[in-house]
Amino acid sequence: MITILMIVLQVLVVLLVAPLVTGLVRWVKARLQGRRGAVPWLVYFALLTTLKKENVISESRSWMFRLVPFVVLGTILFLVVTLPLIFSDGGLAQIDLFVLAGVLALGSIFLVFGGLDAATAFGGMGASREMTLATLIEPAVLTTFAGFAVVAGSSSVQAIFGQGMTVVSHPALLLSFAALVLITLAENARYPVDNPATHLELTMVHEAMILEYSGPYLAMLEYASSIKLTVFMLILGNLIWVQPVSAFDLSTIGMAVLGVLVTVVVGSCLLALLESSMAKMRFFRMQEYLSVAFFLAFAGLILTLIV
Amino acid sequence: MYILKLFRILFWGPRVTQERSQFSATDEHLETAGTELKQIIGSLYGGRSLRIRAVDGGSTNAEEIELTALGNAYYDIERFGLSFVASPRHADMLFVTGPVTRNLETAVRTTYEAAPQPCIVVAVGDGACTGGIWKDSYAVVGAVENVIPVHLKIPGDPPTPTQMLRALVGVLKKPS
Amino acid sequence: MSFLVQNALLGSLIFTVLSGVIALGGRSLLFHKLAQVLLVVSGTLGIVASFILFLQPQAVLQISLASSFFPILQLDLFGAIFYALISLVSVLCAIYAIPYLQSYQSTYHLRSLNALVAAFVLGMQIVILSTSPFMFMIAWEVMSMASFFLVMSDRSHDSIRAALLYLIMTHLGAAAILIAFLLLAQGSLFVDFSTLADMSWTAPVWMLWTAFSLFFFGFGSKAGLVPFHVWLPEAHPSAPSHVSALMSGVMLKVALYGFLRVLLFILPPIGVAASLLILGFGLLTALYGVLYAVVDRDFKRTLAFSSIENIGLIFTMLGVAFFASSQGLQALYQTTLVAAVFFMIAHAIFKSGLFLASGLIVRAVHSRNLELMGGLAKRLPLFSVLFCVLCLAAASLPPFGPFFGEWMFFQGLLQSFSSATPLVSAVLVLTFAITALVGGLAIFAMVKLFAISMLAEPRSAHAREVHEPPAASELFCVTVFALLIVALGLYAPVVLDLIGGGILTASRFELIVGNSTVQPSLILWLLLGCVLIVWILRRLTSRASFERMYHGWDCGQPIDASMEYTATAFSAPIRFFFRLVLRTKKAVQVEPVVASNTWIATRSMTLNLRSIWMDFGYSPLGRLLIGCADQVKKIQNGNIRFYLLLIFVTLILTLWIAL
Repeated sequence: MITILMIVLQVLVVLLVAPLVTGLVRWVKARLQGRRGAVPWLVYFALLTTLKKENVISESRSWMFRLVPFVVLGTILFLVVTLPLIFSDGGLAQIDLFVLAGVLALGSIFLVFGGLDAATAFGGMGASREMTLATLIEPAVLTTFAGFAVVAGSSSVQAIFGQGMTVVSHPALLLSFAALVLITLAENARYPVDNPATHLELTMVHEAMILEYSGPYLAMLEYASSIKLTVFMLILGNLIWVQPVSAFDLSTIGMAVLGVLVTVVVGSCLLALLESSMAKMRFFRMQEYLSVAFFLAFAGLILTLIV
Repeated sequence: MYILKLFRILFWGPRVTQERSQFSATDEHLETAGTELKQIIGSLYGGRSLRIRAVDGGSTNAEEIELTALGNAYYDIERFGLSFVASPRHADMLFVTGPVTRNLETAVRTTYEAAPQPCIVVAVGDGACTGGIWKDSYAVVGAVENVIPVHLKIPGDPPTPTQMLRALVGVLKKPS
Repeated sequence: MSFLVQNALLGSLIFTVLSGVIALGGRSLLFHKLAQVLLVVSGTLGIVASFILFLQPQAVLQISLASSFFPILQLDLFGAIFYALISLVSVLCAIYAIPYLQSYQSTYHLRSLNALVAAFVLGMQIVILSTSPFMFMIAWEVMSMASFFLVMSDRSHDSIRAALLYLIMTHLGAAAILIAFLLLAQGSLFVDFSTLADMSWTAPVWMLWTAFSLFFFGFGSKAGLVPFHVWLPEAHPSAPSHVSALMSGVMLKVALYGFLRVLLFILPPIGVAASLLILGFGLLTALYGVLYAVVDRDFKRTLAFSSIENIGLIFTMLGVAFFASSQGLQALYQTTLVAAVFFMIAHAIFKSGLFLASGLIVRAVHSRNLELMGGLAKRLPLFSVLFCVLCLAAASLPPFGPFFGEWMFFQGLLQSFSSATPLVSAVLVLTFAITALVGGLAIFAMVKLFAISMLAEPRSAHAREVHEPPAASELFCVTVFALLIVALGLYAPVVLDLIGGGILTASRFELIVGNSTVQPSLILWLLLGCVLIVWILRRLTSRASFERMYHGWDCGQPIDASMEYTATAFSAPIRFFFRLVLRTKKAVQVEPVVASNTWIATRSMTLNLRSIWMDFGYSPLGRLLIGCADQVKKIQNGNIRFYLLLIFVTLILTLWIAL
């Protein structure tokens, strides 16, 4: 019963915090560009506005077009439900890294389907690129996770993210952690893989696939990407300093929520710094980025085996 | 090292190339208009964000330059809750520029129809409002309202970003 | 009825033969239908026979006639797994074939086709049942020859070429297997497999090595192991789709059955070198197959390359299993071996389903070319949902069956990383990384297959005119395969238990992670539940009816299907990233419209997805052989005195050797 309560609370906190992350990143970026920028909580209202707007459906669409937003948001919700992000017992012990990687891939695939079902050149372009990235990041994801699993002694997400294992307490994870950062950037379509703020269709990856979506569907897809970013940030944060809590009383929960907020704020600032200090890579140079991620992960795995 | 230098400039260095006092005269209009607009957008169908899609109906690009200026560090309309988006599907508001040429007539119409309702159409610049100096030419359809319903006209050739914001305030105020 | 159950095994063989005989009966469609019905009966009996064994794992079903000359046919639990697969796929293919072949009456010669299919199935059944090399080789040849004729059943130029290539490769393989059996049995083909095992345990090392290499080549070439795979992407797509399903779904498994039967039950445990050989070839096959599956533009050939990839994965798993066994890692050996067989079962199901589905798509679009498809999801909604399920399953995604095969394999590797010597760790880690890459690329290939053929606007006139849904029984077969692959995911633990009993007689197999047991159904229900919650939330927060249809956002200019991304464009980044491996040839031709003005020109681009093994391996070898033959031809000069001299020299040589 307590576990279910924990999961529900965790889902609620993450879902509520998620739009703030996107807003914060945009705000810090604007500050770094010398602008004042929109207030961080504007994203909440933007999502609500979009949710209430008309839904324009493409005539060339099939059943897939309507299914995509639900599956994409559903798979992200699956991650929030199963991962121990705030409470160490919050996740499901049965879910392991391979399931996690598979569900992540499932989400990307449906987004790709949505992009292609729009029957426009932009959609296809974004879909092809996203699929390439999702495909070639897969070995890095699995290898990184394997490194974590070796240290934790089990591949269950509970054992890896829920037992308070951090880079500080296990320095052997340093390289795997670096690889995970690269994976986070690639999975969430951030610099240097993709420019989330671009208006030029030819350079888009993630945005190009959702060009056809409007109204509630658009809100769902944008919400899904901010939740995904939040989840990855919390995972990275948990691996550095914030520990998931196990007790279920008011003060602990308060501390945990505070921890989440701190993680999110610090993470957003760091992400914005990173995005402001580097250029987006050319897509055809992505193999270098992806191979760096893979070899970091590989070296990390070997490091964990040696240490 | 380079990154450190960059961060130093970003955080502690000067933000602008000119002293603030040199351009603060026009600033007030912009600020007041912007703040007012922000309040209006706040009460607009329950949301507080307005996403704009710029549509070129055959303008001289003078208006486009001014529209681009809206997003720069000086005017920075994002702080008022407005932003430009990449697809009319995502837009709440269309900025149509230029006298609509015959070649771009369909483009303007389909863009309007592709945008989800409710959608505000703004004609930006003299060309878009009346046809401007191209009025009654064989190559243009004329003002934007000949093609799609227009809710707001911003005259000027081209209008300055501040004028645009003030005009937006002036019209959006009415329904409330 | 009870008589039938008792003699289910014999019955299944007899009905297969009857089906072949009836098929030859006459030109009327009645015989065609009757032949398929008999095949269904035979398959059903086969499933019954297999299930008798699943329920009584220690039993062995035998068919032995009174005559001592007639070899004994028997089915044990290990064979029953494969026998069940053959029966299942042949039942569904037969149901599918009734309407499917009727629509191709002008292309195929139905009478011979049906008889050949029956012979093909009979061959595979007897391969599983045989207990001696003699029976095994006879059945193997029946299977090979029947499939050879089936490949060229549409009598087109390309099919005949493909069939001849297949004939050469399969006979080289069969010869290798025959030699290996003769070597082990010291010249006798009529020994029992168990006697053969006793003999091979006392055989010298060089003989074991030779036999292993020959078996590896023989079974590997039949299973489509790179570099002996060149026939597979040509032969499988050429056959009618239900035969492709049988070939890809089941015949490859029969080759694997032979390989496993020899390695597990006949040869003594193989050493490190041999297992690394299997592992290396497996990884090469998986990587090569999946890369071509990604870039290929032919619908059925993509599936064939994907089969090569899956066979590569299975060989990788087997390689790891034997490697582990040679290093004394018993737990890893058991896990990976069971994972390999589980993945094999899953592959038989989803690949047969995909090939059956491909038949319906190709018939509707009148082409195998992916570039001409598209928009079918809108026209055939139900069918496209089934196809989507099969494609997602083939991409090894949760919660479908194949995922749990790969899952077990990865889990096995992960748990043995640190508990071993550096050599073992290095091998396992490398295998893990490459398999992960293959897994990622497999997702790409399947997404391409589904998205390009089903989504967006139709890219050709034929695809635009598709309105007629497939016949009910065709749809039924695809549905059954789609449901089976979901069920295989849900009931993975049950199937794993069965396999474990079949090859290891070990304890229960469970999907364990950490301290808890994974219930595949939980993943499925949780995923569905999350989607449902999202649906409810969307209903609560926004009006569902506030929507409008409008054409796609086209930037103001009308767009048509020619501007969509095609399969070539979709896989372009992968082609670019792997250009050193793929060596695709791109040629741009510029031709001026008017001879005097070179600026105005028409440009055409051709992209040649060539096969490097064919270009750098087989073609030079073929040229070398023909060159040698040309040299030998010189002695055939028509001069009778020269011939007499040759005869004289031969006589002298023979006498010299004989004396």
